[in-house]
Amino acid sequence: MKEIKQQMIDRILKAFPDAKNTDYDGNRLDIAIKKESVPALLMHAKEEMGFRHLSHIAYIDWIEQGEFEIVYILWSPSDKLKLFIRTRIDRENPVMDNIDMIWRQANTYQREMREMLGIEFPGMVAPDEFILEDWDDIPPFRKDFNTLEYVNRTFWHRPGREDAQDVRETITKRSGEEIPDFAKKYSR
Amino acid sequence: MEHILIKILGAIATFILAFIVGMTYGGVVRKITARVHNRLGPPFYQNFIDALKLFSKKTAIHHGVMHFLGPAFLMVSSVVSLMFVPVLIPGGDSWYNSWFSNMIYDGDLIFLIYIMVFGSLGMALGAGQTGNPNSSIGITRGLSQMVGYEIPWVLALVSLMLMYKTTSIVDFINVQQETGTWLMFANPFAFIAGLFALMGMFHYSPFDIIGAPAELASGPVSENGGKFLFTMMSSGSVFSFVKLTLFVDIFMGGASNLVVLVIKTFTLYMIPVLYGIVSHRYRTEQAVTFFWKWPLFFGLLAVLYAVL
Amino acid sequence: MYNDKNSQKIVDIIQNYARKHSLWVLAYGTGCGAIEIAPTMTSRYDAERLGIRGAATPRQADVLLITGYLTVKTVKRVVRVYEQMQDPKYVIGFGSCTINGGMYYDSYNTINLLDRYLPVDVYINGCMPRPEAVIQGFVKLQELISQGKANGAAKYKENLEWYKANQKKIAPKWFERAPEYNW
Repeated sequence: MKEIKQQMIDRILKAFPDAKNTDYDGNRLDIAIKKESVPALLMHAKEEMGFRHLSHIAYIDWIEQGEFEIVYILWSPSDKLKLFIRTRIDRENPVMDNIDMIWRQANTYQREMREMLGIEFPGMVAPDEFILEDWDDIPPFRKDFNTLEYVNRTFWHRPGREDAQDVRETITKRSGEEIPDFAKKYSR
Repeated sequence: MEHILIKILGAIATFILAFIVGMTYGGVVRKITARVHNRLGPPFYQNFIDALKLFSKKTAIHHGVMHFLGPAFLMVSSVVSLMFVPVLIPGGDSWYNSWFSNMIYDGDLIFLIYIMVFGSLGMALGAGQTGNPNSSIGITRGLSQMVGYEIPWVLALVSLMLMYKTTSIVDFINVQQETGTWLMFANPFAFIAGLFALMGMFHYSPFDIIGAPAELASGPVSENGGKFLFTMMSSGSVFSFVKLTLFVDIFMGGASNLVVLVIKTFTLYMIPVLYGIVSHRYRTEQAVTFFWKWPLFFGLLAVLYAVL
Repeated sequence: MYNDKNSQKIVDIIQNYARKHSLWVLAYGTGCGAIEIAPTMTSRYDAERLGIRGAATPRQADVLLITGYLTVKTVKRVVRVYEQMQDPKYVIGFGSCTINGGMYYDSYNTINLLDRYLPVDVYINGCMPRPEAVIQGFVKLQELISQGKANGAAKYKENLEWYKANQKKIAPKWFERAPEYNW
């Protein structure tokens, strides 16, 4: 296992000298690379190294750095290895290369990212509305989207929720038990 | 004049009898099904409550003329076939016997075979116009399945026709009265084939893919609510009474009074019902394959038995 | 259109008796609540003994049972389903999500108050309400029907503009395109 993993990392680093490897235990390989090389690396991993399956595409909003991070998670059925390929793109101008011709199922993730973070994928199949119909605000998974403010503006709250009491003290008083220390920090 | 009046009143009485008996049977079946499932189940008159509720619902659907005519076709077919089936043995000794002899000397089995299919075809046209895809799929499945069970059914009847050289149901009853044996013993192969066909006609499991609620959203009736559904429900009840009575007349010696009729039809009805409760659901092609295997074999055997 | 016990005619009383004892339920299984419907209907709790049974399509149904949270996307479909049902029709809101949003009260895409969009006759609270509570809710609905107080559909007709405005507020384009309510 260890040897195969090291071999894989070496092969990637040899083909893509600008890639940065982070070591993890188990069957996980983690490669950070710049945005332009991602399609080439995905293609390389799929065709040459046996990572035939795209498990997931995760996305993270790093609002402090002004970047979005996209993580492509690949799986190699023959070597039983996971490959994480991370890349960061600019938050102000979020454009990423379209990869739905490499894996068709990437299209679904890309449509979700387009809707939830506002990342554009030029050349993507069916670039229209996916889950959020009639959405006219900033994309909701961005960290600067204030959910509660949006809810207060769009929906209604039923009165009564705000005076919800912490009932646990009443319960403990009645039953004669004590709130354990580790639970006290959750008390309101 | 008096004769015609009795005919009309008798027709109405026959219809009311068929309606009440069919609806009660439906309710009893729901109760029995519930008891088999280890439930309490609805009361046996639940179907009447349902019918009343459906009748008192407002209807604001309009899909075109054929959509209105579909349930009407179903009702017409049920009532017409009811009129041609001898509910009781003609010329029996009960005082109400003449009330239920509607037009039984005018029709014969071949006419009945035709008119019993007519309702399904009308229903197919009506459901086709609703434009609901579930309806169309249900119709396709229903008609394919009908092709399956019609063949053993017709073969069973043809074998009896060949055996006794008649197509009149009254003659069949008379034969059984004279010889003293029911035709289910005189030609057992025909009875078996007919029984399989009867199971297909009742659309209980395993042949209930036509109106499976979870798969097809109840199939052909999916676009019909309220009074449409009331019409279909009542005509279905009448039609099940017709099928049972016809089967009892042909194979089980008819019935001389209403008590015997109820006992015989209920016993017969329990066969598809009880088998249906415990069985799974066939797909259409499985159902058709089923009907074209053993029931068809028994049907052919019945014809051979009748000829030889 | 409103009628109460004192102004009911004999016809109404008979019809309400039938309606009360024959509730065909269209269970709109959004959220997690649909899992409670199966034990309610099957042999453990057996709702059929009260005349409650499932209906396959909105055309045949009397009761629209909304089991759980409604997202903006599903509320459009629920409104369509409700408008396809035939009078008299009732709505049961099931679980705290339909009452005040429940645990999704600050979610960007689930509605909080169901009764702003559809006229709800009975709410069943709980997260999740157990089958006993569901049956209790149905019995309450039966009481309302026999007293002639389950007038949600009439309320919807009278306050149609208010309901439509609320619906259009969350999904303007969809409800502009949708066909108008017709009876």
